[in-house]
Amino acid sequence: MSRIRDRTEDLKDAVRQTALSLGYNESKLAAVLASFIIHKPRQRSAFTKAALKTLESIEALEQFMLKHRKDYVDHHRTTEQERDSIEHEVSTFIKACQEQIDILKNSINNEEANSKGWLGVKADATNADTIAHKHGVVLILSERLHSVTTQFDQLRAIRFQDAINKAMPRRKLQRKANSDSVDTSKSSTSELKEPDEFQPDRLRVQQQLLDDETRALQVELTSLLDAVQETETKMVEMSALNHLMSTHVLQQAQQIEVLYDQAVEATMNVELGNKELNQAIQRNSSSRTFLMLFLFVLTFSILFLDWYS
Amino acid sequence: MALNLRQKQTECITRMLNLNQPVNATGTANEEVYKILIYDKFCQNILSPLISVKDLRKHGVTLYFLIDKDRKPVHDVPAVYFVQANQSNIQRIIADASRSLYDTFHLNFSSAVPRLLLEDIASGTLSSDSIQRIAKVHDQYLEFVTLEDNLFSLAQKSSFVQLNDPSAGDREIEEIVERIVTGLFCVLATLAVVPIIRCPRGGPAEMVASALDQRLRDHLLSKNNLFTEGGSFTSSFQRPVLCIFDRNFELSVAIQHDFRYRALVHDVLGLRLNRLSVQGEKGGMKSFELDSSDPFWVANGLLEFPEVAVEIETQLNKYKKDVDEVNRRTGGTDGAEFDGTDLMGNTKHLMNAVNSLPELTERKQVIDKHTNIATVLLGEIKERSLDSYAKKENEMLVRGTIDRNELLGVLRGKGTKLDKLRFAIMYLISSESINQSEAESVEAALRESEVDTSAFQYVKKLKSLNVSMASANSASRNNIVDWAEKFYAVTAGVKNLLSSDRQLALPRTVEALMEGKPNPEIDNYLIFDPRTPKSGSGSSHLKGPFKEAIVFMIGGGNYVEYGSLQELVQHQQPVKHVIYGTTEILTGVEFIEQLTLLGHKMGFGSSTAAPTP
Repeated sequence: MSRIRDRTEDLKDAVRQTALSLGYNESKLAAVLASFIIHKPRQRSAFTKAALKTLESIEALEQFMLKHRKDYVDHHRTTEQERDSIEHEVSTFIKACQEQIDILKNSINNEEANSKGWLGVKADATNADTIAHKHGVVLILSERLHSVTTQFDQLRAIRFQDAINKAMPRRKLQRKANSDSVDTSKSSTSELKEPDEFQPDRLRVQQQLLDDETRALQVELTSLLDAVQETETKMVEMSALNHLMSTHVLQQAQQIEVLYDQAVEATMNVELGNKELNQAIQRNSSSRTFLMLFLFVLTFSILFLDWYS
Repeated sequence: MALNLRQKQTECITRMLNLNQPVNATGTANEEVYKILIYDKFCQNILSPLISVKDLRKHGVTLYFLIDKDRKPVHDVPAVYFVQANQSNIQRIIADASRSLYDTFHLNFSSAVPRLLLEDIASGTLSSDSIQRIAKVHDQYLEFVTLEDNLFSLAQKSSFVQLNDPSAGDREIEEIVERIVTGLFCVLATLAVVPIIRCPRGGPAEMVASALDQRLRDHLLSKNNLFTEGGSFTSSFQRPVLCIFDRNFELSVAIQHDFRYRALVHDVLGLRLNRLSVQGEKGGMKSFELDSSDPFWVANGLLEFPEVAVEIETQLNKYKKDVDEVNRRTGGTDGAEFDGTDLMGNTKHLMNAVNSLPELTERKQVIDKHTNIATVLLGEIKERSLDSYAKKENEMLVRGTIDRNELLGVLRGKGTKLDKLRFAIMYLISSESINQSEAESVEAALRESEVDTSAFQYVKKLKSLNVSMASANSASRNNIVDWAEKFYAVTAGVKNLLSSDRQLALPRTVEALMEGKPNPEIDNYLIFDPRTPKSGSGSSHLKGPFKEAIVFMIGGGNYVEYGSLQELVQHQQPVKHVIYGTTEILTGVEFIEQLTLLGHKMGFGSSTAAPTP
């Protein structure tokens, strides 16, 4: 919006007045005011540099996808092979970005572990806020990557859908063509039957046998073709469903891992608990025997002392 | 061009989070992608209805803190401060800068920061030699809380008490008026409109209106003003009308028991900043968010409670039907039929089902949430028999009287003490004249139930003064401190306490103002137009029909008024647009507490005669 919201100029005026009142000389004043205009080059930590690099690579991936999106979706521009190669490239890229993010995450965990090891000798850079900030950066990066991968998944789903649709009408057409051809052949045979009345019987019978055979072959072959095409479409569908399931399962994979770890820990804890209970039982019983012995000895010593004196 | 306050405020905040650079900057702005957000309590209330944590992450905010918390240094990260412009915040900022907690500081103040505080910043940071860390200072003009697209509140507590306080001095009243004017100015700056201001004569409304008019005039005269509208004689069609009212204009709305869903949830369960925490069905507190992203809330907020329950039922049945259909299509149907077409259809259905699962779970969550809320509400209503209160109050307002035995029966029946007090005050307001013996018996009944009757006596005093001062007219208008002057405002508007046809007075008045036809009710309302010079002519076009209005209630408002305004506006042809705002959103209980305070300040309504002019 408009310039009146920016009060930096007023701050500069106030700074100038205050500096003069505090008795700064000219050079100091100039240096102070220059700092408003020229910013010192920022020193960045290694972590931030790595994070920015990863962000750049994710953005490059997005650009790549946008560029090839039209090629990928449109049927006539690319062949299946090219589409496969695009898919392959994109998935390797995604893996590389994921690895970078994992490296960043591991570096945070290492720093945390290190700082915990040196009790009290914590470096300034490893306080709780900085660690939280780094976690936040990693989270933002992984969310960004996730959105890019979902975009790519959508493109792949479109591709699968097109493949299925292509198979479907072909099948329908084939069926229609088959039924038409069967009808036409039937009608043609009935037409042919009449002029054959006058030929000798032997030839007619032979021809009929041959015709029957060819017709049977035809029917068999068409049915085979049908079956093959059915299996093809089913395979395509299965691969699409497979892909769908795998994306969902991957999403839940992390949760499943966490649950698994927790379950393992829980079993360990239960075992430890069992051991402790056994020890407690033993101690209980042994302490009881000691107590009985003690009381026994005491009573006998009292009796002895009483008998003695 | 409908004014959408929530959207504009969100845009401003997004811009602020992008360090006030143009939002679509690509490429070079990557240097400062990760930032830390620091706010104070007031600005936290501003941010929480607008932005969720996920949205913050989308703009690159990794951490967010309250300014008072003890924070550790995080190097090479810029920090965005969004705070109010007061002394303690400035001191804290100077301390942070001296400790070099962050790399650069971008300071954003919720309203215009005064020169004095800027000098404080300058001297503080110069002496600690950290001035180079402060990169920018901005005034955001965002000192208000937007709850819905066209509902805002200034979050200024107890303004009704302070304005009507008999012991308030000149300076204090002016301070409060200043604060309200600042808040209203921020709203107008965010909307970027200069409205035409109309208000009834006398009282806080007139004070606020004239102060706001002055402020706008001064601002428009300075160069680079915030309002980029072109031309000084734009027809009144383009500019909205800002109607300012005082709470005394219609007291009944703030006190009565209403039975509509939104008002019930706010009044009984305590909805604050679109968040609600209720006892869950399995024990333990659950917290819900109710705002414009919840389709059920948006669609059914204005319905009465029994209809809402019916709606929940229908939605639940629809959901169950959909789930059954999905199950039937994909689940274990009888035997596996290896018919070619059937199997193909099955797999397609499977894919559709998997894709529609997230949507179904979301719907279920919304239904569950509202079922939970409705159950808790039902429990409260049964316990306090709120439905009978609402019905009887409605009857009282429409008929104007109530059977004495019925009245006393209610006062001795179910309900909390405050419910009974509210009912008694509604009786006072709705009856044409106070029958002294009835009032005494009512008071006795109240005292039996151990209810603090000071609020009741305050309203009784108001009414009696209204009757006696109906004749006193324009005598003491100039003296704004005069105690009687405050009641004068009440007399002018108190006749609206009785709305005979059950349409609230406020929507009626707003409709009249928006239409611009001559109307005896509003003819003596003042007009202010900050764009024309003071001695301007041509006020005819200022009364013309308006398509948009901003209604502001000083002293407190609630969802009942908001709902009735929205209903009014939707029934008009062509569809008009109204934004409703107030100094704070009060439940009935909170308003009664303020009335009780006033009653105490007046000494339990002892018979001290007001100084007549």
